[in-house]
Amino acid sequence: MHSNTYTLGFVFIVTAILGTILSFTKINVRDLQDYNLKADVKKNILRSLDYEEDPNNPWTNDLVEKIFSQNVQAFCVDKDGNKIDCVIEDVDIEKNQSQLPVYLKIVDGDISGIALPVAGKGLWSTIYGYIALKPDTDTVLGIQFYKHGETPGLGGEVEKGWFTNNFKGKKIRDIQKEIIGIEVVKGKVNPENSSSIHQVDGISGATVTGRGVSVFIAEDLKRYEEYLNKVKVSGTI
Amino acid sequence: MELFNSESKKIISDPINVNNPISLQVLGICSALAVTIRVDQAIIMSLAVIFVLASSNVILSMIRNFIPNRVRIVIMLSVIASLVSVVDQLLQAYMYDMSKQLSVFVGLIITNCIVMGRAEAFALKHGPSKAFLDGIGNGLGYGMIIIIVSFFRELFGSGTITLPDGGAGYVLFSIPESWYAAGYENIGLLVLSPGAFIILGLVIWFQRELIGIEEEA
Repeated sequence: MHSNTYTLGFVFIVTAILGTILSFTKINVRDLQDYNLKADVKKNILRSLDYEEDPNNPWTNDLVEKIFSQNVQAFCVDKDGNKIDCVIEDVDIEKNQSQLPVYLKIVDGDISGIALPVAGKGLWSTIYGYIALKPDTDTVLGIQFYKHGETPGLGGEVEKGWFTNNFKGKKIRDIQKEIIGIEVVKGKVNPENSSSIHQVDGISGATVTGRGVSVFIAEDLKRYEEYLNKVKVSGTI
Repeated sequence: MELFNSESKKIISDPINVNNPISLQVLGICSALAVTIRVDQAIIMSLAVIFVLASSNVILSMIRNFIPNRVRIVIMLSVIASLVSVVDQLLQAYMYDMSKQLSVFVGLIITNCIVMGRAEAFALKHGPSKAFLDGIGNGLGYGMIIIIVSFFRELFGSGTITLPDGGAGYVLFSIPESWYAAGYENIGLLVLSPGAFIILGLVIWFQRELIGIEEEA
């Protein structure tokens, strides 16, 4: 039987050594991890803007950086749709309502897509993603969810292609041209229903996640209402 | 001690064969079900578990005579948890896509009964070199089963076989489009957890039949 002093001392030393190893590891890889995270966000913006990865030339971090800087224009707007200064990588749309990031896909000098960040509560977690609209600011070009803590196989399916592909071509504005977002229905969309153009198939077993997605897409798009209306009228930035 | 005398061989081969942690002891089932959707995930997970098992066994075995008995579980847990965290951090830095796919299951290696079990049952009672072999053996035993399970799940569930590379995985084989056109369909059930249970059950049955072990009723 060891004495209490010995036991305490032993635990202290082991903890100190393990702690040192852990922090040493973290310090050494932190920059790489940050870089990966940023590249991953950009990758998802590109995917929402309908860029596809070439299987023969996979998206490395550097390639993503290159495509992004050549084709995408990133800036912030305020609630009235005016361009403002910001450090776009640090903007948290959940906390900061005054700086709204916008990513424009520019092809031959013209806007061919507008990607906007969306985020909100699912069932367990905040889901982060990007929704991209065509220049008519009505039709969905693509959508991507890149960070969430939903149940794998149920709510976690939001990040899967079978779910996100259904958003393509759907309309976010109603007949009065008001922004209403996209509704994730329970079960399958009935194509004969007149509102089916605003609806996508739900995920079975993840009704709450789907409801959350419908709510935050509509809410977040409404923040951009002024900006989107400007783009729609002028056709430019 | 000669490294590959018959005793060392037995330490390595037993957990792969007659004393396999998954199919005979039925430990580590949670992660075996979770990371066997694709072969590349199973391979990386196996490597992570082999690394953690071998190094935790060696470290604990080296300090086994100094660990106060009263706090040995805490010490084992902190050593294992630290090693797992290191693996997790490295994956996030060097294999980002893979770490996203494995998500929480890398962290959950900490609670994998195999790791704690080997530390308590073997590493604290044997020298570092034997403990190392035991860790490798048990890791290989775990890896072998989950790679077999993932092979069948991916092949029949998703119609592909994916090997790990730096990015999103290298597709070694996929069922040709013409098969799908001719009416072939993937078995969706295999992608879900019940499919994993079924395949794992079949593997356990097969291996026990092979060894000839019968459980007492």
